[in-house]
Amino acid sequence: MNDRDFFIGAGGITFSFLIYWFMGHPFFITERLVMFLAILTFSGTLLFFIRKAQRGEEIFLRDIPGLKAVEEAVGRSTEMGKPVLYVPGIMDMDQVETVAGVIVLGHVSKMTARYETTLNVPVSRAIVMKAAQEVCKESYLVEGRPDMFHEDMVHYLTDEQFAYAAGVNGIMVREKPAACMYMGKFYAESLILAETGNSIGAIQIAGTASQAQIPFFVTACDYTLIGEEFFAASAYLSQRPELIGGIKGQDMIKVIVIGFILGGVIFRALHDGGIIDFNILEFLTAK
Amino acid sequence: MKYITDLILKMSSVDRRWIFLVIALAVILPLFFPMGLPIRATPTTQQVYDTIDALPHGSKVLVSCEYGPSTKPEIHPMVLSILRHLFKNEHKVYVTCLWPDGQFLASEALDLVARDEYGLTYGEDYVLLGFRPGNEAVVKGIVSNIRKLYTIDAKGTKVTEIPMMEGVNRFEDFDFLFSASAGYPGTIEWVQYAVDPTNVPMSTGTTSIQVNEVMPYVASGQVQGILAGMPGAAEYEKLIGVPGIGTSGMDAQSIAHLVIVLFIVLGNIGYLIERNRSKKY
Amino acid sequence: MLWKRHIPIFIVTLIGSLTLFGWFIDEPNIQSFVNDDATQWFDILASFAIFLGGFNLLKMQLQKVIRKKQGWQYSLFAIGGFILAIIAGFFYKGNPDVAWGTHVTADGTLFKWIFTYMFAPLGATMFALLAFFVASASYRAFRIRNFEATLLLVAGIIIMIGRVPLGSSISSWFIMYLLVLIGGVVINSVFKNKQYTAIFVSVGIIIVTSAGSSMGWPLDQPGIFYLPHLQEWIYMNPNVAGTRSIMMGIGLGIFATSIRYILGIEKSYIGE
Repeated sequence: MNDRDFFIGAGGITFSFLIYWFMGHPFFITERLVMFLAILTFSGTLLFFIRKAQRGEEIFLRDIPGLKAVEEAVGRSTEMGKPVLYVPGIMDMDQVETVAGVIVLGHVSKMTARYETTLNVPVSRAIVMKAAQEVCKESYLVEGRPDMFHEDMVHYLTDEQFAYAAGVNGIMVREKPAACMYMGKFYAESLILAETGNSIGAIQIAGTASQAQIPFFVTACDYTLIGEEFFAASAYLSQRPELIGGIKGQDMIKVIVIGFILGGVIFRALHDGGIIDFNILEFLTAK
Repeated sequence: MKYITDLILKMSSVDRRWIFLVIALAVILPLFFPMGLPIRATPTTQQVYDTIDALPHGSKVLVSCEYGPSTKPEIHPMVLSILRHLFKNEHKVYVTCLWPDGQFLASEALDLVARDEYGLTYGEDYVLLGFRPGNEAVVKGIVSNIRKLYTIDAKGTKVTEIPMMEGVNRFEDFDFLFSASAGYPGTIEWVQYAVDPTNVPMSTGTTSIQVNEVMPYVASGQVQGILAGMPGAAEYEKLIGVPGIGTSGMDAQSIAHLVIVLFIVLGNIGYLIERNRSKKY
Repeated sequence: MLWKRHIPIFIVTLIGSLTLFGWFIDEPNIQSFVNDDATQWFDILASFAIFLGGFNLLKMQLQKVIRKKQGWQYSLFAIGGFILAIIAGFFYKGNPDVAWGTHVTADGTLFKWIFTYMFAPLGATMFALLAFFVASASYRAFRIRNFEATLLLVAGIIIMIGRVPLGSSISSWFIMYLLVLIGGVVINSVFKNKQYTAIFVSVGIIIVTSAGSSMGWPLDQPGIFYLPHLQEWIYMNPNVAGTRSIMMGIGLGIFATSIRYILGIEKSYIGE
């Protein structure tokens, strides 16, 4: 899409919405207007920076050691002749973290195809199994090694959290992978997996947005992608301009949010002091 | 002195199986030889107690059980204590479950407290609505129309035939919510989809690990207090005056925590000694 | 190309946009779809997909047994457990007075027995492993490498001890004496002068003892040195602040990732 098309599209959407609004905005829940405008603004910000990146503009992204270590980990496994173990979390594809984990699996499987390393992906949900199989199959095809792919490299264990942890632990202790990667949504089993991986001497890279589990991964793993770093992994590994632009856009949205927080504190203080009637909390609360 | 530093260095690089053995002893021995350490309620636990105590007589309280056998030691004692408190104050208790395992444990808790201890009547004083699949959709369903979601209860009885379900059609018909949560879906989903839009007051009990995630909601006043893991359960047992599993586990947890801290301190002393030696050489 | 690329992207964009913008539309059918149907469609898909997972599991375990791979005997347990669960769920109740469906939670049924005496203890056992692993992970990882690591260590110790009844039994005066001794160690390592260390420690002990005697040695005063108060402060202040900022960052990450999927910018989920 070129600049002209983009601005025509954006202008068209804005104009249509304004007409809809002035026609009485039938069916629209007015109390949620602020949230609607926020979504449009943030989406617009993302698209702006994505387009900027697609036009070739250099965007600086800081180094994330955990992502640099992914290729190093696969290389280590190749040298040692041991498999790579990849755990895409314990939740289903309705969680964004699981989708992000499956996407990173695509990049990792490209590396294992390139280096001819065995990949083992035990999963906890049947839909994740199918999605992961498709992603791995495509990666091996893209790398020109479809012969190396077999469906059983991605296999289902169980839906039950601790039975899954026990199964993965068993795989670790028996097969002794040289690299263990945990990318997705985890709960209490995170430390069980990470400690067992540590006991077998594997290099461990974890990535999750599950807040409560981040400290356990930081303690037990060699590298941890914390929160947004995990969602940025796809951009880092693929180096595709549109994804890198998206990361920049995300950071700009954060600046806008920080501005709202600071402005909100000032407005609230003025309201509490009786200087203004406008209650910013009421305005910003989504009902 | 060199002998002591060498000993500390040796101990700081001990095989982790010795650590496991010491932890096992630190947990088992206090269970056989209880010390009776005093339990003091924290402000967040006290807040839960005060909120429930302040409910008007005969309030309709929704208790949601989202935990399983693995988190039973932490959450089940708090559910038992909450039920005892609610039945002591003669409230009507409606129990739902967002986790399938929760239904088994909720049934066990109700049988013990409501049926055996208080001799209450099912359908008039308490009802187990049971588990429904759908995660947040269940919460949203309860908010909009509970009867569309629950046509029968956990025993297969039609909801229309249960006396205490009269007048209960949506979440706003409840006076209070207590969520006993061990993860997803749980407390946060209740806050986001039920409590915030309707302003029905809510308290919660969670595993110790999950307290971090829920604390911002407690600090902002969206959740009225939190029972934090087994210590929270023990504190609540102390407040209602009925000691249970939570209280009996506190001695073991205290000693285990102390042992872990001592190991950490020992490890750091060894680390510092080694660092000094390598600087020297 | 149409089936493998364009149709999946179209479905994601359509359903994603409908679910996102449907929240703003006050129309009963759309609200019903957004609030109930969309999630239930997924649950129905996931429920049928369990067959795929189950058959995959059975296939893998049977292959191990048939080909007598290493550890094939354990696969017999997996297959046996699978078959037992199917029988208990669909073929044999164990309690004839209970209806099918409610038999999974009713007393006296085989399913309930399996849950109570096999599933529950096994789940609790695996969860209990965390106690040991937390100890070994903490022991290995909590090192005073730099200022931040030291801060983490001190906060961790305060929370661990302050959270349990043992912490509320430790007097704040004991903590003050401990701090005086730790201060002495720090003074000694910085100045390497035994005289300075002795003066610091002596003065510290005298001050703490005088203050304690004059106040009557209350257990929880001064509050700043009482571990339960300290841990409560750490929980409610720096911890909540850090948690909130991480939550916001994660929320933005989820938003940005979801918008990328909806707009078709991120196509890796279809293998592209």
